[in-house]
Amino acid sequence: MNEITLRVNGTPHKVAVDDTTVLLDALRQRIGITSTREGCGVGACGACTVLADGTSVSSCLASAVRYDGVPLTTADGLAEDDPVVSSFVDSDAMQCGYCIPGFVLMTKELLAENPTPSDEEIADHLEGNICRCATYPEIIKAVRLAADRTAP
Amino acid sequence: MTKNLHTTPRAKTPPVEVEPAADEPDPRYGVGERRKRFDALGRVRGTIRYTGDEGIAPGTVFVGVHRSTMPHARIVAVHTEAALEIDGVLEVVTGSDLYKVLGDRIYTGPAFADQPCLAVDKTRFVGEAVAAVLATDLATARSAVDEISVEYEELPPVYDVEDALRGDSFVHEELRPSSVFADLAHLHGVRGTNVAYEYRQVLGDSAAEHARAATTVSATTWAPPTHHVPIELPSTTAWVDSGRLELLSTTQTPSYVRQTVSDLLDLPLSRVRIMTRPLGGSFGCKMYDRLEPLAAALAWTTGRRVRIDATREEAFLLTTRHGAEVIGSMSADADGNIVAVSSDVRYDTGAFADVGPRIAAKSGLVAPGPYRIASVDVRSRCIYTNKVSAGPFRGFGVPQVTWSHETLVDELARELGEDPYLYRRRHLLREGDIATVGTKMHSADFLTCIDEVTKAIGWDKPTPQGDGRWVHGKGVAVGMKAVLTPTIANATLNLNQDGSATLLISTVDMGQGSDTIMSQIAGEVLCLDSRRIHVVRADTDATPYDTITAGSRSTYHTGNAVRLVAEAMRTKLLGFAAEQWGVPARELVLDARGVTHKKSDKLVTLPELVRAKFGARGATVTTSENFTSWWVPYDHDTGLSEKVTEHWFAGAAAVRIAVDTYTGRIRTQHLAIAGDVGRAINPTLVEQQLTGAAVMGIGHTLFDELVFDQGQITNATLLDYQLPSIKDVPEKMTPIIVESAHREGPFGAKGVGETTILPIAPAYAGAVRDACGVRITTLPLTPERVLHHLAASENARKAKR
Ligand code: FES
Ligand code: FES
Repeated sequence: MNEITLRVNGTPHKVAVDDTTVLLDALRQRIGITSTREGCGVGACGACTVLADGTSVSSCLASAVRYDGVPLTTADGLAEDDPVVSSFVDSDAMQCGYCIPGFVLMTKELLAENPTPSDEEIADHLEGNICRCATYPEIIKAVRLAADRTAP
Repeated sequence: MTKNLHTTPRAKTPPVEVEPAADEPDPRYGVGERRKRFDALGRVRGTIRYTGDEGIAPGTVFVGVHRSTMPHARIVAVHTEAALEIDGVLEVVTGSDLYKVLGDRIYTGPAFADQPCLAVDKTRFVGEAVAAVLATDLATARSAVDEISVEYEELPPVYDVEDALRGDSFVHEELRPSSVFADLAHLHGVRGTNVAYEYRQVLGDSAAEHARAATTVSATTWAPPTHHVPIELPSTTAWVDSGRLELLSTTQTPSYVRQTVSDLLDLPLSRVRIMTRPLGGSFGCKMYDRLEPLAAALAWTTGRRVRIDATREEAFLLTTRHGAEVIGSMSADADGNIVAVSSDVRYDTGAFADVGPRIAAKSGLVAPGPYRIASVDVRSRCIYTNKVSAGPFRGFGVPQVTWSHETLVDELARELGEDPYLYRRRHLLREGDIATVGTKMHSADFLTCIDEVTKAIGWDKPTPQGDGRWVHGKGVAVGMKAVLTPTIANATLNLNQDGSATLLISTVDMGQGSDTIMSQIAGEVLCLDSRRIHVVRADTDATPYDTITAGSRSTYHTGNAVRLVAEAMRTKLLGFAAEQWGVPARELVLDARGVTHKKSDKLVTLPELVRAKFGARGATVTTSENFTSWWVPYDHDTGLSEKVTEHWFAGAAAVRIAVDTYTGRIRTQHLAIAGDVGRAINPTLVEQQLTGAAVMGIGHTLFDELVFDQGQITNATLLDYQLPSIKDVPEKMTPIIVESAHREGPFGAKGVGETTILPIAPAYAGAVRDACGVRITTLPLTPERVLHHLAASENARKAKR
């Protein structure tokens, strides 16, 4: 067991993990962050996405010890008036909602890298996230709206 | 009336706390309005809690399941000693342990009681649960299952329906219809068959009609088994509290599960409590008996608080969609009228019947298609095999038969030299017509659906020539489904003294937005802002019985119960005012301001009215209502019924595609889908159901399938099982809401969750036929399959030359 510090949404949490503990379990079971969810466990759905230093990571595959001290962002850590959050709400970009936090974080990452993405760039960036309810049309609208709202 | 809906989203989020915003045209968010889900922000930030997000109580033990490696075998011995030696393992429970306590009650299931929560004397598919390990943590539970070894005596496996019908080996020694459906009772104890159920529909003399017809087309179609794959994994926690079994589960059928657990443990219903949370999708896989019987049995027999979380691989083993073969023929007379359809439908239900017998009947009954047809002969069978069990999946078996009848009608139109759209249009059922099953059509506007989708994609515009590599085509199809009937819905409404309300129903919100639309219905009746009405999550200790959240039935059935309970509340409130003012209730009206008496110009707000009645702040007024639909059971010999369903769903799809003749890949240029929903309670949510079901249908059409090798699924991970991604969304998609009001629906509404999954595959196959001249009858239309057909037709052409 190692004691590491997971900095989640600005708050440091000391947690004991072993080498095999995945970040997803550390976040959910040790810290109680439940916006990060398991959908496949093999890096194929994106429900477990977190941002580590702004970069998206599938937390179901990531070893927790590697994120000792790294600033992590989860969807529940975003403000209610965050432009991506409000754009998803205003675009009705959800059905069951289970996958949506993952899409929200992927959108944060995309717009940080590319504030004015084309539809093709949006699709390229979100392709690895699965929404089984197929809320894709609304998600695309939400990303476009978020880009407008984020634009300087 | 139709609406073509492409509105821009409201730029403003309705505040959670309700004060009507000045710029809202109608702040009540009643019927017909695009109200947002009440918990939209929580869904986006991930703060709403699903079942698996609930905290783990101290003392919870985790369950790992040892699964069969044999498709069909007698269990000789289960060796658990090695597993028990592992640190952290508390107990290992086998099927025979449970059988000693529960006896035959261990066998549960909605139509047939044939599913043991742990295999008892034999195993019937690779992956069947054989033993459960209870451990202090999940990792230990899961790794300990590998230490269990089972001695088997192999039995001849039944891999597919051909094997099954040959009848050399039987998946079940005898049929075990459950006590739920009286009409299955005659099957009790039948031996020597793998056919769990057979539905026949006979109208006229189809053999004679086929024989004298001018034109006949035939096709054997195949739709493979698929999986629902909601992104939320199944999770069930069960415990015993003061002699009561309590259970929190990912289920869309809490009322059903309560009855099942009560039967399983031989407890009165009052000693079983089933709780739910919103579901992270389901599409039919979280209903009936999934993890719940095992969790309940383990909690009850060990006295421990047990939690079972399925991995994604395990979720594939809990239920699937039926693979189905349909051998069909359709004949027309010299004038092109459809004179006969015959259809031999074979649903592969796997090891457990589950609700397969119901699927065989309720989907078999629409196998001829929504056309005016002179004679039909349908034989629809639910057939056991040694594979993972198949159960309900969005569409309830209808997509598989739609694939057949739309393939046939499309080919028939082409054979007759007619346009596939206009040919269908001429023969589609209209209001007042009688469907082949014998039931009259009402509020199923196929004509508007097919007119609108073809118009949307520009059916009459010329199809582009293509460039030698890419070829273009268009296709159209319709789909027809009966709503689940009969079913029962109840609603209880508590009006709070402050003029807000709490609605108790057992419909489970799994993404369709029922919590939102039910309050819109109640709000409409009571002239209340629907955002002031809270819907309680289904909990059988509090919310009343409701047959099921499935089959697109809730908007109509539970919606009607909600309408009635709100009407009862209105009557009650008017009664209070009548009593307080000493005037007849009929002179009073309820509107957005409260209760008014026109004659005397008296007005009382609801908070004042209720406070005056009870003399207390915070008091509640309660009403309860029931809505139950009815049917006429099928005639024993003909399968006909003058009222087989409470209502029909009508849908249509039209698509323009391009096919890459080098790779076989299909690109969707424009997909239009339409569904007759009676009345859209919330158009935004209706559109999401139309497009969501259509995209799921695109998966079923182009790539989605479970692959089996000797009865074992070989692609049960999301690395191997392909699902539609954002890149599979058509370049253009047009959802069209058709509203032909149902005379008894709440404000005319019916449901919508399944309508547009029905016609997608045949619309695409018709477009492939149009583009390349090949008719593919096996799904999915993978690039390899398309190329194979292109090559075969090329060879045939060469051979002719
Ligand atoms: S759970 Fe991590 S990608 Fe699916
Ligand atoms: S909203 Fe249900 S999976 Fe995306």
